[in-house]
Amino acid sequence: MAAVQEVHDDHRPHGWVRWVYSTNHKDIGTLYLIFAICAGCIGAFLSIMMRAELMEPGIQIFPGLASMVYGVHGDAALDAGKSMYNMFTSVHALIMIFFMIMPAMIGGFGNWMVPIMIGAPDMAFPRMNNISFWLLVPAFLLLLLSMFMPSAAGAWGPGGGWTLYPPLSTSGQPGPAMDLAILSIHLAGASSILGAINFITTIFNMRAPGMTLHKMPLFPWAVLVTAFLLLLSLPVLAGAITMLLTDRNFGTSFFAPDNGGDPILFQHLFWFFGHPEVYILILPGFGMISQIVSTFSKKPVFGYLGMVYAMVAIGAVGFVVWAHHMYTTGISLDTQRYFVFATMVIAVPTGVKVFSWIATMWGGSIEFRTPMLWAIGFIFLFTVGGVTGVQLANAGLDRSMQDTYYVVAHFHYVLSLGAVFAIFAGWYYWFPKMTGYMYNSFIARLHFWITFIGVNIIFFPMHFLGLAGMPRRYIDYPDAFAGWNRIESYGSYLAGFGVLVFLFGVFEAFAKKRVAGANPWGPGATTLEWQLPSPPPFHQWEQLPRIR
Amino acid sequence: MIRNILALVGGASAGFAVTSAMAAPRDWEWTFQPAATDMMRQITWFQDYTLWFIVPITILVMVLLGYCMFRFSAKRNPVPSQTTHNTLIEVIWTVLPVVVLIAIAIPSFQLLTAQYNPKDAPKLTVKATGNQWNWDYEYETGDKDKLSFNSSILADADRAKLGKENRDEYPRLLTVNHEMVVPVNAMVRVLVTGADVIHSFAMPPFGIKVDAVPGRMNETWFKAEKEGIFYGQCSELCGKDHAFMPIAIRVVSQQQYDNWYKTAKNDLDGANKALMAEVDHNKTKVAAAN
Amino acid sequence: MADTHAKHHDYHLVKPSPNPVIGSIGAFIMAIGGVAWMRYMEQSDFPIFGYNLANTHFWIFAFGALIVLYTMFAWWSDTIKEAHEGDHTPVVSLHLRYGMIMFIASEVMFFVAWFWAFFDASLFPGEAEQVARTAFTGGVWPPKGMEVLDPFHLPLYNTIILLLSGTTVTWAHHALINNNRKGLIWGLVLTVALGVLFTSCQAYEYIHAPFGFKNSIYGATFFMATGFHGFHVIIGTIFLFVCLMRAIGGDFTPKQHFGFEAAAWYWHFVDVVWLFLFTCIYVWASHGATIAME
Ligand code: HEA
Ligand code: HEA
Ligand code: CUA
Ligand SMILES: [Cu+2]
Repeated sequence: MAAVQEVHDDHRPHGWVRWVYSTNHKDIGTLYLIFAICAGCIGAFLSIMMRAELMEPGIQIFPGLASMVYGVHGDAALDAGKSMYNMFTSVHALIMIFFMIMPAMIGGFGNWMVPIMIGAPDMAFPRMNNISFWLLVPAFLLLLLSMFMPSAAGAWGPGGGWTLYPPLSTSGQPGPAMDLAILSIHLAGASSILGAINFITTIFNMRAPGMTLHKMPLFPWAVLVTAFLLLLSLPVLAGAITMLLTDRNFGTSFFAPDNGGDPILFQHLFWFFGHPEVYILILPGFGMISQIVSTFSKKPVFGYLGMVYAMVAIGAVGFVVWAHHMYTTGISLDTQRYFVFATMVIAVPTGVKVFSWIATMWGGSIEFRTPMLWAIGFIFLFTVGGVTGVQLANAGLDRSMQDTYYVVAHFHYVLSLGAVFAIFAGWYYWFPKMTGYMYNSFIARLHFWITFIGVNIIFFPMHFLGLAGMPRRYIDYPDAFAGWNRIESYGSYLAGFGVLVFLFGVFEAFAKKRVAGANPWGPGATTLEWQLPSPPPFHQWEQLPRIR
Repeated sequence: MIRNILALVGGASAGFAVTSAMAAPRDWEWTFQPAATDMMRQITWFQDYTLWFIVPITILVMVLLGYCMFRFSAKRNPVPSQTTHNTLIEVIWTVLPVVVLIAIAIPSFQLLTAQYNPKDAPKLTVKATGNQWNWDYEYETGDKDKLSFNSSILADADRAKLGKENRDEYPRLLTVNHEMVVPVNAMVRVLVTGADVIHSFAMPPFGIKVDAVPGRMNETWFKAEKEGIFYGQCSELCGKDHAFMPIAIRVVSQQQYDNWYKTAKNDLDGANKALMAEVDHNKTKVAAAN
Repeated sequence: MADTHAKHHDYHLVKPSPNPVIGSIGAFIMAIGGVAWMRYMEQSDFPIFGYNLANTHFWIFAFGALIVLYTMFAWWSDTIKEAHEGDHTPVVSLHLRYGMIMFIASEVMFFVAWFWAFFDASLFPGEAEQVARTAFTGGVWPPKGMEVLDPFHLPLYNTIILLLSGTTVTWAHHALINNNRKGLIWGLVLTVALGVLFTSCQAYEYIHAPFGFKNSIYGATFFMATGFHGFHVIIGTIFLFVCLMRAIGGDFTPKQHFGFEAAAWYWHFVDVVWLFLFTCIYVWASHGATIAME
């Protein structure tokens, strides 16, 4: 049946109209993925520049960079360089979070696979799907533009960290850079809210006949929970940054203490969004890992229901733990006690996930194809990041770790080694399906090993630096920290090289055009996408599949 | 109780035995800096304690993964089982983490509570105000003309003038022109606020960190057990020179503190010089005695 | 095989459309123009490639806004056209319902932020460690020396107006279901009129408010929360007005009229937000405060 569909798709739009005016979930998904790769490369570039600066004590790179980009010299270049470092940190984080991980996982893989896996011909609102993507483009442009705009005196670009704490982001940086960054987040947020509405509607309404929620694969489940987190947390961020905007430009005093405002209020609002956000970044990854582990172990997921409700629990509890980012702000003892308790609870459902993945492998017949390597890497490295999170949850201990590199180590283990590994696992898992081509497995494995080694060299020693007391967001550090920093920087060059290998692998696959076939993974690949040809027809499931 | 048992294990690395008069991070340091207060000792203990759980958990995950990879590879196990449920094991891996978390939580809550319930009343209160990019210290002694001064990072050019040329004792980026001086073994209360943006007053060897938020008066305390000079750094992003507003606290004997305090009000640099001379003198005396 | 594309499902595979990309270009221009405009008001610069965009006042913003408005118009016209062409099968209708409910849910969360700001200040006006705030408020809410609005004057009228409008829109709905076109149109006319009346009262209240928007947490929380509500009232009124025009043009059937229902849901949402604003910000928070005499 599917083969017939491919014969002639006259209705299919051609040329640029196909992409720009698209209402097709797969085309939009592809756009998202390309976008995420571009953003990921820019974000990685920024981080490698930071690492280059941090390779040695003292200030080496940024003054020169500042004088190149902003045309300032001498002491002004030194000052501009210091600010520029902060700006790189902030923009690196914003890009990686809003323009790399979210577009890749939700926009890219979500769009591509959720409709197919639930047996739907497209998303519920195909046109709205397209504006979700296209809003990201101006959002990204605004952020990039902001890097070249004045912020504080003698400084350019939004340098308040990705957390945008006032007063540094209000009175501290009066220039237009911060306004642009704020509006960028507004647009990215609107894009995600629309996307979330689309996913929830699609998943609730468009499952193929017979596919009850309890039969739905785990990836759509993960996207469903993520979409709820987006829907309910992003508007709060929108409110918070709107307050920033009005405090900056219209004379309100939400965060200005002299007029009765409260800078801590922003932190509450931000983290009420920010903590669910970190689960937004990881839950789709959980979903992908579940699919992949099950496929390559040739076994159904172990404890399916437990897996589903673990994600639901993580999502729900994720809303009530936000102030664990604020232990040192002066919140009361009782508040801290509550947040310690609530935060620790999350380790339980997350443990259920980790152990269920292992149990899925247990007794399986495991094939170590590239996606499986990334998935196993994910499980292990995410655990490392997760358990340090549990340490940070203890306010009494976090006192000594807050705003040090220990935290930086924690969140890169869950993000740059967790979420990113999940993205690459998904990429290598679905690449043959999406393009119809098989990549060169040697290059893919090389990419895995280089990245695996590289990122561990970057981020593991950060634990040591954090314990020794090195604060984050520092362009320069006491000489005693030089040793570990140098090693980390070497690691980042290796990881950067890994990105090049990745890009080359993609290029190679398109150049060689090895045909992948409908199901390159064998009997373990049981979800619906493997019943379609690769790439799937422009409109799949014109005859809805029936699930028993 | 769990605490006491495990203190035996954890205590080893808690660092009782530091005699150096200077506490700053050391090359390749990979654990907490040596504790200079009882609170930091408790924090160090607790960090070690948590490691006793999380490291084995991580190793367990690693070992299980490795075992699966070995034992259940397609080569060794061509026919996969189809087991998808085992209620017992699912209950175990839900309940065990809960037990672990409770074991972590109990001393955690004790630690947290202790941080907010100092045993003694404060002997001295110092107000620290974070500015972009330096600190103001104000000694709240109830005198009419309180002692207050500004403390900024020491420019290399001023090292000689202040007699801080020894870069081991006065490291780059950590050294300030005027340290906060406090007596040893005295309960010191620190009031922390910010003047412009948020900063954070952090002193790793004391186990304290509290944000300097504009419009807000936060409070922390410490009771230093050792004389010497201790270094911390601003720990909340505050703009261009965030990395360049260190915090230095000099802990001296009560007697030295009293002398210093008396002169400092009129001649801060003089008082500091005199104090440094006295401290150095004592140090050589100790060295000679050895 | 001519039959290849016969779809065997009731979903609506929308045709390619220029609207999304045009809309996002509009959003981009609006954002740039917004920054330029704000810079202009602050009397500072917004240099892009050597050209100071702040000189443009609000024109770039207005241009972007125009594009966005055009997009909305074109987009919803398309949607209505598709509805007439029968694309809105029962399942697609259900999509639209889910979509609207979720949109409203996100709006609710948006208001959570404003209420959070309000309660942060009003419940804790005098915490000991919040030195600056306590100095400003005198430890009480509303802040000391503050004259506030009499909740049982205009705000109460407005409450009644909105509640009344809730009934008129329900009247219109029932009329529509019973194919009573006249009732539908009159119900809508009344609802729109009440909406406009509410906005006018609110505008009057703003102009005569004894406190300002700037430099006070009271003004900030009050005006931003009620202001965003007012903005939503205006959107809701326009939405209902569009429905009125469609009704006059003979649109909507007793069976299929989701556009109308969505407007009604939205209106009820706006109504409920107001009830919270009224009880919390107007009534509760003015308890024991000096009431301004108008
Ligand atoms: C993908 C993103 C992600 C994820 C999944 C997590 C997961 C967790 N995080 Fe993390 N976190 C971040 C991203 C993330 N975090 C970021 C970006 C920041 C910094 C923001 C900033 O300041 O810029 C941060 C900061 C941060 C802090 C604040 C630190 C500080 O600033 O001082 C805290 C404190 O509680 C914390 C805790 C946790 C906890 C308890 C989890 C838990 O969910 C982890 C649960 C997982 C496990 C525990 C492992 C698997 C479980 C088992 C194998 C079972 C057995 C285990 C036990 C019984 C312990 N995180
Ligand atoms: C997802 C999030 C993410 C990712 C992937 C990374 C990746 C990296 N990060 Fe970053 N980082 C953050 C989120 C992330 N980071 C955050 C939130 C902060 C805090 C900011 C703040 O303080 O405000 C931070 C801060 C931060 C700092 C601290 C700065 C400071 O405090 O002074 C440093 C320093 O070394 C650093 C380095 C790096 C490096 C070397 C990488 C390398 O791993 C980069 C190498 C690249 C990759 C591993 C993959 C690239 C991905 C692609 C090319 C896309 C592929 C896409 C598809 C297949 C669709 N990061
Ligand atoms: Cu002051 Cu950072
Ligand atoms: Cu968190």
